[in-house]
Formats: sequence, C-alpha cells, structure tokens
Amino acid sequence: MSTQLHQDISEETVRQLADEHDEPEWLLQTRLDALDALEDLDYPSVIETPGRKWTNLEDLDFEALVDPLTQTEQKDQVGPEDVEVASFHEALQDDDLAELVEEHFGSIVDPQQNRLTALSTALFTTGTVVYVPAGVDAEDVKIRTSMTSRSLFNYTLVVTESNSSVTILERQDTSDDAEAVDDGRYYSGVVEVDAGENSYVQYGSLQDFDEDTYNYTVKRGDATTYSTVDWIEGNLGSRLTKTSVSTELNGDSSETKIVGAFFGHDGQHFDLDSKVWHRGEHTTADLVTRGVIDDDARSVYEGVQDVGEDAWDTSSYQRENTLMLSDESEADASPKLIINNHDTEASHSATVGQVDEETLFYMENRGVPEQLATDMLVEGFFVPVLEEVEVEELREDLQTRIHERLQ
Amino acid sequence: MATLELKNVHAKVAEEGGEQILEGVDLEIPSGEIHALMGPNGSGKSTTSKIIAGHPAYDVTEGEVLLHLEEGDFDDVAELPEDARTWDLLELEPNERAALGIYLGFQYPAEIEGVTLVNFLRTALNAKLEERDELLFGEDEEAEEDDEGYETSPMEGPADEGEVGVAEFQELLSEKMEALDMDESFATRYLNAGFSGGEKKQNEVLQAAILEPSIAVLDEIDSGLDIDRLQDVAKGINALRDEQDTGILQITHYQRILDYVEPDRVHIMLDGEVVMEGDAELAEKLEDKGYDWVRDQVYETA
Repeated sequence: MSTQLHQDISEETVRQLADEHDEPEWLLQTRLDALDALEDLDYPSVIETPGRKWTNLEDLDFEALVDPLTQTEQKDQVGPEDVEVASFHEALQDDDLAELVEEHFGSIVDPQQNRLTALSTALFTTGTVVYVPAGVDAEDVKIRTSMTSRSLFNYTLVVTESNSSVTILERQDTSDDAEAVDDGRYYSGVVEVDAGENSYVQYGSLQDFDEDTYNYTVKRGDATTYSTVDWIEGNLGSRLTKTSVSTELNGDSSETKIVGAFFGHDGQHFDLDSKVWHRGEHTTADLVTRGVIDDDARSVYEGVQDVGEDAWDTSSYQRENTLMLSDESEADASPKLIINNHDTEASHSATVGQVDEETLFYMENRGVPEQLATDMLVEGFFVPVLEEVEVEELREDLQTRIHERLQ
Repeated sequence: MATLELKNVHAKVAEEGGEQILEGVDLEIPSGEIHALMGPNGSGKSTTSKIIAGHPAYDVTEGEVLLHLEEGDFDDVAELPEDARTWDLLELEPNERAALGIYLGFQYPAEIEGVTLVNFLRTALNAKLEERDELLFGEDEEAEEDDEGYETSPMEGPADEGEVGVAEFQELLSEKMEALDMDESFATRYLNAGFSGGEKKQNEVLQAAILEPSIAVLDEIDSGLDIDRLQDVAKGINALRDEQDTGILQITHYQRILDYVEPDRVHIMLDGEVVMEGDAELAEKLEDKGYDWVRDQVYETA
C-alpha cells in the first residue's frame, strides 16, 4: 500500500495540481517545500491528560483516505458588494488579490507547522479569499463547502483593513451527492485571519460532515492594535475531529473570543483545542465552550491562555463545560493558564458532568417526562454559548441541529 | 374531592444499608383543606414529601401511598372512568403523579439555565394534560403525531403547541403572576437562575397556580422569606385552596406562616412517625412549648 501513497502524494501530483490552476511559481514552490518537509514533520500535537493520549492521528490510514487528484465539492461563496469574496484560484487571477494572497499565505499558520498542515498545503485544491477594505462594515459573508469526494483540502484567508468589520459563516458538510466510500473521508482545512488595526472579525463555522469523515482543521487569527478576532466553533459532524483554534493578540488593546459548541453521539470523537497568546498590552480573551456527548462518543478539550512577559494589563477568562448523557460516553477537559506577566486578571475552569438528578426530578415533578426534561436541559445548556453567536443564521442552524440530534 | 392517603409508610434511603427514615407514617389530605406537617429536623418531614412525589433517592419498604379521585376533580374531564379512581402512586413515575395532580413545592428549587420560566411552564402544563388523559383514558391516539420534527427554534418552543397555545398560556401566566405580585419580567428569565430565595419560593407557588394540582405538598415554602414576601406567598397558598380547591400539605418548622395560612389540621412528626394531630391551636401550643413537650407527651403516654 505504501507504493500507492508515494504515487499519489508526490512531486508530480503537486505539480499537476498547481498546473491545472495555472498557479504562480511562489505557490508551487511553497507546496513543494511543504511536500519535501512532510516526512520529517510530526503529526499535530494532540491533547493528553494524565495517563492518556486521546487521539492517535498517526493511526489514520492516510494512504487510503487521501486521493489528491479527485478532490471535488460543491461550494458557495457569497458576500455583500463592498467586500471581496473570491474562490482561491479566482483571487490568483486578480492582480490586487493575487498580491494580497502572496503576502499573507502561510504568514499566520505556518505551512510546515506539522505534518498535516504540510499535507494540506501541498494538496489543497480549493479555498476562499475574503478581503474587507478599510472602513467597510460587512455582514453575512457565507461560505459553504459540501464535500463530494473522498478527500478535500481547503484553504481560507481573511484579511481586514483598518476600521472595518465582517461576520463570516462557514459551513462544511458532506453533499447528498457525495460518492460512496467504504473506509472514510478526509477533510483538512486551514484558515488564516489577518485583522487590520481596529477591525473586527467574527468567524463562525458549523462543521456537519457525515460520520465517516476524519476532519482536521487549523484556524488562527492575528489581532493587531485595537482589533478583535472572534471565533465560533460548532462541531456536530464527522467521525473524528481534531481542531486547533487560536488567536495571537499581538496588538495592544486587541481582543478575542473563542466560543465553542459541540454535540457528539454514537462513536464520534472530538479533540478540540483553543489557544490564545497574549502578547500586546491591555489585551482581553474570553474562551467559552460547551459540549454534550451521548452514546459512546468521546470528547477532550484543551484551552490554553498564554500571557507573555510584555503583556501588561491582560484580562483572560476561560470556561468549559461538558455534559455526558450516557454512562458509555467519555470526556475530559483541561484548561491551562500560563502567566509570565503579573499584571494579569485571569480565570479558568472546566467541568465534566452528567445531568443533575435533582434538576430532573424537579422537572418531572412539574409533569415533564424524563426524556423531554433531559432534552430541555440540553438545549438550555447550550444557550449561553448560542447567545454569543452574532450571525443569526448560524445560531438558528446550531439550535436546529442540536434539536434534531435529540430526537 | 381528591384525597391523598399515606398508610403506614416505611421508607429508607435507596442504597445498600440505607438509613431507615420513615417508621410508619399515616396521613390523609383531602382537597380543599390546608394541613400543616411540623416536626424537628430529621423527623422525616421532607422525606415524606419526597416519597409522595416519587424521589428516586428513597425506597418505600412498607405501606401505601394512594390518591383517590372523584368525578369533578378535573374541571375539563366530564366523566372519570371507574378504574381511574384510586391510584397507587408508588407504581407511578414522578411525572405521572404530577399528571394526576400531585405537586411538590421544593425547599431548594432547581435553577435551570437557558430554559425560560414561560417556556418551561407551558411545556409542563401541556405534558401534564397529555399524560393525564393517557392515564385516565388509555393510549392517546394523537401521541404518534408528536414525533414529527418541528421547524421553529426550540428556544421559542415547538410549533406543535400542545393543548394550551402560546397566546392562551401567556394570558394565564400574566394573570397568575399579577395575583402573586410577581414582576412580568420573571416570565422570560431562566427558571430560578439568579432568583433570590424569596423569588424562588414565589415561583413555586406560581407554578402550582398554573398546574392546578389536586394536592400540593409545600416543603418549607416559608424558609428564607421576608415578611412581605411571606404574605404574598401565603396569599398564593390560600388562593390555591379557595380558587382551585387544592389540598395543601404544608411542611414547616415554624408557626410564623400559619398566622397567614390557617391550617385545618396540624400533624406533628417525630422520629419518622406522625405522633400528634390537632387543629390550628396545636401549632400555637407547639410554638409555646417546643418539640420536647411533644416528645414528653408521646413517650409518657406510650
């Protein structure tokens, strides 16, 4: 089987992908460098709790999962008029956007950060570029990616100029028309957000792949002076999801929120990490994640608040709660706080628990049957994170999907 | 007229070697009457209330808890089937007991984040009515339709409105809240979340007013109330009896609330049994003389 691997994930393949899209030389070189580095790079670090490594990415059979030359999808990319929303390869044909892409590509998420980002860089065939000019306030940028193939590598770049704002809703799912697969699909997504001075970005995603999909996603934002990068992470689908969502608060007075909601059932596995690096002064971070797992699903969450030596006047808060609906489900959570500047106000907490028996009894005593009471508690449990979601459509979709999963 | 009857109830904590708490409790609470259940800490008052409601933490090891119903107990039920007149509550789930008219007002009501008071109560009322019809008349033929998915946001409640629709319920709720002097804003707040102790107790009485139980057991509804709130709550309890003919079993340590809610009967518990019964005067005597007096009386005569 390994000969198969090297035939497909090869220089020839990468050249062919670049050629098909008439890509510029710098990009081909970046891809080839990533391919070269592949074998020497480690798999992304996964969350480990005392005595346990939850996710074994190296056990995935990438040879079988990845089929670089047959990547297909259905895609919508729309936004209001004063914002540029282009497919990655359209952007490369536009002089201004091409320059923007060349400047920013790989500047926030290092293509060679790990083996899977390198694989993604070498093989991606689709993507979106969102450019928000100075002073523009834009809502409702929507990106939808429906996989139809066995594997898909996707890249997204968001650049905002000063004093602008944008809300983005990204959806990933598996198309009803997708080719049938016996042994799973693989999705890999890299998202880079470069927020200009005093700009605001809310990037919401709703991951709802079919439950044969292995999903690896890296998102990172660079928040400059007075800017805000907020992430909303909805994870419902996939067989296995490994995500890293992070913000570098490099600019003074920059802010971030990382808000997560997940609901796993059957044999789903979620390995979710949120990270914030406080580097500028007067920066603020708020990390809030809530998740529910049922059946024999597993989830592990890690949140890291890293306060640098020069990050004076930092405020940093983190809360995570996981609710287990079955005795077979497993969950762990590990909030971490690293403080190198004493001028910091910070808190962090995480809980993993089951539905409170007294609360259930209270509700039943009012006439609500146990199952309905549990469903109401689960829906209520998600409300504090849903309240953080600015894009109404995302909030409603999340609610609907949570509701459906309870049926 | 509905009657709740406890016959020689023995109960223990539901675990291996769990402590025996009730040693043969006899009580009879008819609708339309207010009964006070008093006793020192640890005498088994709260356990009695939980047994009635079906709390899973206790096992009844002996005795019976029965609910007797009569024609006319439910305003909207014209004819009560013969076989639906006496219920062994111990055979029923907590929500089934609720459907037949058993209500427990909690000493420490649950705080439920993300579920508004109005949404919770309307869901509860509709679930209760549906379950009651099922218990009284057998399988509900409409039950299967309820499995259909619905389209609106769950925060706003299902599109399948149930027997009591949103608008109708809103009206009912406003009316009951006004009667209890509760601010309307409570309706859209999350159930008990961030409520003060007094507000929670008021909310327990409000829920009883909406759900119209045959028998309401109120566990220390008077604890943690200031005098103004105590009067509001007392007014609410009297209204339950006067307007809905609810039978009240009021569990309390203190005479204080009985000044506002005059009991028809007073029962005193000691060591897991009801040891003394009388009218309202008994509560006053108890206030004067204390539980040691009861203990002396009971064990001297025994």
